[in-house]
Amino acid sequence: MSSKEILLWIMNQFNDTVELIYKPLELDNKKITVLYIKSLIDQELFQKYILQPFFEIDSEEKLQVYLMALPQFQEVPSKEEGLLYVMEGNVLVEIQENLYAIDFKLSKNSDVNSTSVETTIHGSELALSDNLMTNINIIRSFYHEPTLTIEYFLKGEVNKPKIAVIYDQERVKTTALNMIKEKLEEIDKQVITESPQFSNFLNHKRFSLFPQMLLTERPDRIVYNLAGGKIVLLVDGSPQCMMAPAVFFDFMTTTEDNYHTFVISYYLKLLRYLGIFVCILLPGIYIGAASFSPEVFRTEFMLTIAGSRMGVPFTSFVEVLFMLFFMELLLEASIRLPKAISATAATVGGLILGTAVTEAALASNIMVIIVSAVAISTFVIPVNEMAFAIRIVRLLLIVIASIFGLAGLTLGFLCIIMYLVNQTSYGEPFLRMYNYRKGDKKSEGQA
Amino acid sequence: MSRFYYYLILINMIANIISAVPTILLYYREDGAVSALIVGAMLGLVIVVIYTKFFNAFPGMTFPELLVKTMPKWFYYPLLCFMAIMWFVAGASTLITYTFLLIRYLTPDIPIILLGLTLIVSIIFGCFMKTDRVLYTIEIIFLINFPIIIFIIIKAYTSKSLNWDFIKAAMLHVVEMPNMNVITACIFLSLGVVNLVIFNRFFTQKQNFGLKQIMVVAFISIATIFTTYFIPIGFHGLKSIEEMIYPWVATSDSMRMKFFLIERLVYVFLLLYLSMAFLSILIHWHVAVELFKFVFRLEKIKYKDIPIGYLIIILFFTAASLFLIVTLTEYQLFQYSKYFFNLTAVNFFGMIFLLFYIARRMKGAKDSKN
Repeated sequence: MSSKEILLWIMNQFNDTVELIYKPLELDNKKITVLYIKSLIDQELFQKYILQPFFEIDSEEKLQVYLMALPQFQEVPSKEEGLLYVMEGNVLVEIQENLYAIDFKLSKNSDVNSTSVETTIHGSELALSDNLMTNINIIRSFYHEPTLTIEYFLKGEVNKPKIAVIYDQERVKTTALNMIKEKLEEIDKQVITESPQFSNFLNHKRFSLFPQMLLTERPDRIVYNLAGGKIVLLVDGSPQCMMAPAVFFDFMTTTEDNYHTFVISYYLKLLRYLGIFVCILLPGIYIGAASFSPEVFRTEFMLTIAGSRMGVPFTSFVEVLFMLFFMELLLEASIRLPKAISATAATVGGLILGTAVTEAALASNIMVIIVSAVAISTFVIPVNEMAFAIRIVRLLLIVIASIFGLAGLTLGFLCIIMYLVNQTSYGEPFLRMYNYRKGDKKSEGQA
Repeated sequence: MSRFYYYLILINMIANIISAVPTILLYYREDGAVSALIVGAMLGLVIVVIYTKFFNAFPGMTFPELLVKTMPKWFYYPLLCFMAIMWFVAGASTLITYTFLLIRYLTPDIPIILLGLTLIVSIIFGCFMKTDRVLYTIEIIFLINFPIIIFIIIKAYTSKSLNWDFIKAAMLHVVEMPNMNVITACIFLSLGVVNLVIFNRFFTQKQNFGLKQIMVVAFISIATIFTTYFIPIGFHGLKSIEEMIYPWVATSDSMRMKFFLIERLVYVFLLLYLSMAFLSILIHWHVAVELFKFVFRLEKIKYKDIPIGYLIIILFFTAASLFLIVTLTEYQLFQYSKYFFNLTAVNFFGMIFLLFYIARRMKGAKDSKN
């Protein structure tokens, strides 16, 4: 197929799009043909690097050498590739029966965002951008290793976004890499828009509760995890990336942990783990203590609880579910609402509902305290995905506690741990204690 | 030695504080229990050393795999089947004891069948996990509970109600002839090591098991046996201890946390031992399930892709333990536990000869290959 035919074939694919520009240029003894989509390319660049030289360079050979010397230059191996190049914002240039693609993509989304989900006090405030190339540029400029490998895939039958798989060839966990590549090949979705979708696409399970991939928007976190052997998945147009394999403890660390002094960072970690225990167990303990075995706690304390529950017409678990339900509604509503209204929602929900509920004796004062304590401790979990999963775990434990009391709560908690341990994230056990001592590999085997 | 090895031993020892072991020990307190404790601890240590040395010589190989290589079929199928049933019973006895405990102390208003069923259902699916995952579960749950164990031990030894005169008086009985039942119960405490028949799969590297490791195990076992036997006596005295079915629950109820949210230590103790019993049953039943899997080739029994073999095991375990929970009384449990401990002790001592034989055959096989 000659280059002329390829150009015609590409034009036919687009039917009668006004935006597709086909221009044969002829001057003196020079003749080139350009083909591009007007809205996709940077017209200034096009003017500066192709049109101007065309009028200034006197022979066709020189012009060709000039084009080949441009950094944006690419060869066009086939007509399908050519079509893709046009759609990605390249200018196809036909010169002397040869067809070249020059990348003049105009991207208005390449600005680096500031962190909105994972905010920290210490450390960088800059997050990824919406543009894949900018993101790769950020990662490359933070991670200076020749072993850093980037592979591109095109997935999604309709919109075909560019997907980049990034890893450090020396440190990467090969089983996980092979698994991810294998599963990437199997994806047959029509539309892919954001990288968080991959946590479901690459997961063959129909029901999964805990996230198997870590979502982040922070370049420092990406770099840290790349060095730890993780694989990073980026999608063009998505300001977040997925990292795998992820284990439970990844979801409990913030990047800030490395920026504090030793004692402070351990204190914060301790706080976080206590928070997760409180968040999971507190409602269950309340139910177990109030309805099943009040003798467990000291008498004065139980009398306070019983006094506070005076006049409340429900059993403790109805009370807990009632209050938690409204808290979850409030949480969900405040995410969806525009910022201006969400403050009102918080006031109405938190202050008015809280006081009114206790005054109407629909829930005890202590219950309101517990629900707010639980809500606060949910926010302590640094990665959002895990916080969502924990909310569901809490609900399960409440149900178990309301049937079997404190013993059921303990058993349920043990089962959750067992479930977590049994999960696998791309070949890595999801929850286990790691042995950080060097050279101690001898003491452990694999079954 | 890998830390996971110590977990296997520790969990078995700690978990048996709530089983019939202390009751048996204390029952014979005036008929040669103290001297039997010493004999039992030593014999237990012998078993630990021999079994560890044996399995350490064949890293990564389970007992059934070794048997297949060295023994005829008619010999090892019944043996493994017998062992599997034994482990099921060991797990079930912990389960039954704990169900009785819960009914008596924590949740008296829940029907006993429901309670037993909850315990079984929460554990049984864990038994089908991979061996390494079982060990990771053990580690995490153990680490969460470890501070509480230390706290209870410190609390017990520093308590004002602990009367060392009682303990000294009890020690005077050391001159009596050792009692057989106490010896076997004591040996049962050290039998956590026998779980290596399956768990050896995890230890794929050869471990060093020298004098240091033996000392650690010896210290753990002596400390546990001493605590199990003498602390209840120190709290209650030699005379009144015979009225107690669960000496350790009564003992923990004698301790009080004056300024803490929970005043009576017994509830901390009960919830702690719920975790320990959970782990103990998990270990025992995992071994039982793996042995049953090997004997009956359960993974091959399938009906329309549903692994019926596993379902059969789950149903069998559930039904058998529920039946036992409903029919047994506490006194019967105590009696049968005694017989069961005798049986296990004799069996695992007998198996030492088998181990030596297998080791020789394996060595011969290796030599002939070279």
